[in-house]
Amino acid sequence: MGAGRRRWRMAAWTGLPVLFAVLAVLVPLLAGALGTAPAAWAGETARAGQRGAILAARAPQAAPAPAAPFALSGFDRSAKGTARAVSGQPAGYRFPLADDATLALVRTPTSVLVWVDAEAATAAGFDPTDPDAADALKAQIAQLDADASLGGAKLADADVPWEFTTEPELVRGPYEYRFAVAGEDGTRYLTVLSAAAAPVDPSDGALWSDSARLVPASDTPPAEAPGALDRAASFLSSIDYRPLWVSVKTGAAALFISFSLGLLAAWRTCGTSGRLKGLLDSVFTIPMVLPPTVCGFLLLMLFGRSSALGRWLVEHGVSVVFSWPAAVIAAVVVSFPLVYRTALGAFEGLDPRMLDAARTLGWSERRIFWRIMLPLGWPSIAAGAVLAFARAMGEFGCTLFFAGNYAGVTQTIPIAIYFEWMGGNTSVALFWVVVVIAFSFAVVLAINLHSARAGAYRRGQAAGRRGRLGEGRACPDGACTGEVSGGDALRIDRAALRELLGPAPEAGAGREGGA
Amino acid sequence: MNISRRSLILSAGSALAAAALMGCGEGGGSGRPAASGSGSAPAAGAPAVELQIFAANSLERALPEVQRLYTAQFDTTFADTQFKASGDLVEQLRAGAAADLLITASAGTMDTAVDAALVDGGSRTDMFANDLVIVRAQGSGLELAGIEDVADVDGRIAIGDARTVPAGKYANQALASVGLYTGSAGDDGEYAASIAGKVALADKVGTAAKYVSTGDCAVGFVYSSDIYRYDGIEEALVCPEDSHKPIIYPGAVTAGSAHAEEAARFLDFCLTDPKAQKVWSRYGFEITA
Repeated sequence: MGAGRRRWRMAAWTGLPVLFAVLAVLVPLLAGALGTAPAAWAGETARAGQRGAILAARAPQAAPAPAAPFALSGFDRSAKGTARAVSGQPAGYRFPLADDATLALVRTPTSVLVWVDAEAATAAGFDPTDPDAADALKAQIAQLDADASLGGAKLADADVPWEFTTEPELVRGPYEYRFAVAGEDGTRYLTVLSAAAAPVDPSDGALWSDSARLVPASDTPPAEAPGALDRAASFLSSIDYRPLWVSVKTGAAALFISFSLGLLAAWRTCGTSGRLKGLLDSVFTIPMVLPPTVCGFLLLMLFGRSSALGRWLVEHGVSVVFSWPAAVIAAVVVSFPLVYRTALGAFEGLDPRMLDAARTLGWSERRIFWRIMLPLGWPSIAAGAVLAFARAMGEFGCTLFFAGNYAGVTQTIPIAIYFEWMGGNTSVALFWVVVVIAFSFAVVLAINLHSARAGAYRRGQAAGRRGRLGEGRACPDGACTGEVSGGDALRIDRAALRELLGPAPEAGAGREGGA
Repeated sequence: MNISRRSLILSAGSALAAAALMGCGEGGGSGRPAASGSGSAPAAGAPAVELQIFAANSLERALPEVQRLYTAQFDTTFADTQFKASGDLVEQLRAGAAADLLITASAGTMDTAVDAALVDGGSRTDMFANDLVIVRAQGSGLELAGIEDVADVDGRIAIGDARTVPAGKYANQALASVGLYTGSAGDDGEYAASIAGKVALADKVGTAAKYVSTGDCAVGFVYSSDIYRYDGIEEALVCPEDSHKPIIYPGAVTAGSAHAEEAARFLDFCLTDPKAQKVWSRYGFEITA
């Protein structure tokens, strides 16, 4: 095992720096993803509108009030109201209030009107007539409003007068404001109505509305910021992992199909010659050089309802567009040429005399394929298969075109990255990017290690050391390079001939005898 | 030594592979139930209906919340809702994609769907009103006094591609109102020379918002509701209502829906349920009167 082990050592020594380099890139990315970004994620999570059900992490919105005896909790902001008439709900332009709200405000075009429930004000120690208390409350509200604005206009943006009241109804200008009107089902609203003789549109009387519970400061424990680990855990648990499963599933199915078809096509093409071969070769290879969107477009035309053929197929029960089979077909189309090309290259690299020799011995073409061509070409074919799998996993354009973006069905990792980023979930996109880099690195490393091992014994044989597979000792300093397919052909050649011809002279003896 | 190094590489490789496989297992194991069980468990025996909704891109944050409310109440679940540019959704329906409910961001795109008999015209309901706003990156300090000021902005202008993105069409109408676009319909003209070189077309309104939030564009034309679903952008100017056609989101049950009744019920739920209204309010969608 000496040479093999040495090659492993070499692979280790050449592979380790690469591994470290990649880790050096990945670790900060991950750290960034798990350490610093959660602040942003908290924001994202607070929006609570992500695909996964991650409502739970909504941060408690309570403003600390060191000086004031009162505080606000359950702050909510309504950017828009509605004037839609719904039976059982109050009329006018209405904004829903937060649960149990005892404070509601409306930003009118010219002022801020704040209503405080009289009982809650007393209980919380807020005196609306005290200008200091009003200022303290104003500061708290402005802060919470800014936090909840999510980029919209803020109360603090414009210097408009604030008015505090405990009256449930106020008329200001042509508008009447009712601060806590309950519907039949108990839902409460802040409503705006037209109070002028000439009716005005109530929705013009309010820009937005905030509501909260006014409570004694002692009732609101300071919000504890979750630790980095908790945030990382909540982030990881909030991710929808289905794209990974869809990717692996699609890649595996596509690999199985394109591997079978690719080998078959390569075998068949290899057997033909002349113009037909050129034509077949072009047809089989063209998906590799076409932009994936062209493949997607053609597939959509072929199977979709917009073409006569597609309609015929749909009528006969073949409806694949925007479904998982579509994703597999898309992946097969783009990965097939990789298997085909590498397999064809491997088959064409074989010594035709060897195949002819087998034919003279009465072997069927099928047996030649299974017993000679496949084993001899295996290293190239295996590498091609790995590349095809990676290509199928990474397919984007064709899949998006033909299979769409359905989470859990056709949404593969590349598509998830694009849509998460576009949808504002940068951190989730980053997570998938890290996963893909790690996965790709593992694949490439595996190929390199495999070919390093496969190359070792060939060099061993090329140098003339006798022995079984992997036992050859060669290249002690690791400096020599071997010709890959030649070495492989040599080995199988001998084995096959030995088996075929019985006590025959060893093939390649002349070359080996040189040692 | 040799063996230990070799085993180091091996174990590193196998650890990566194992991690990938474990992730795969998690994906298969925990991912799927999360999708179907996000609300309450389906009623025993009765097969729960699964609705497929095609919705305008701007609803991407708000609609899933309303869907969760609905699932919690009625056990009806939702297949992965498609949030794309309204024009793309109509094309996707035309290409044969199955859906139960279509919500677009303009009357024009819904007209197209009705004309192509992709949706049941009788079920068509105007759902939301929205505002067209010009956004800037948060903290950029860019001040706009009017729409015409975008011509003087130093940087690119993100606008949805008017052929498929209704927001882009409204934006072009707004630009046309100040002479920066030649066609008053919004998709029949050219940008004025002063901004033509600065316009960055986006494939959906969310992309336009994203361009601004990443700093690739200085300003962008989006809906006011988009401000609430993207970090890093803020309102710079609300386009006057008379500068563009009214922004209305119509919803309609699709012609090929297998659950037309349930889809219509969900449509009604969106418009009348108080909890749903709370969600729409938070994200800046005004349910139409």
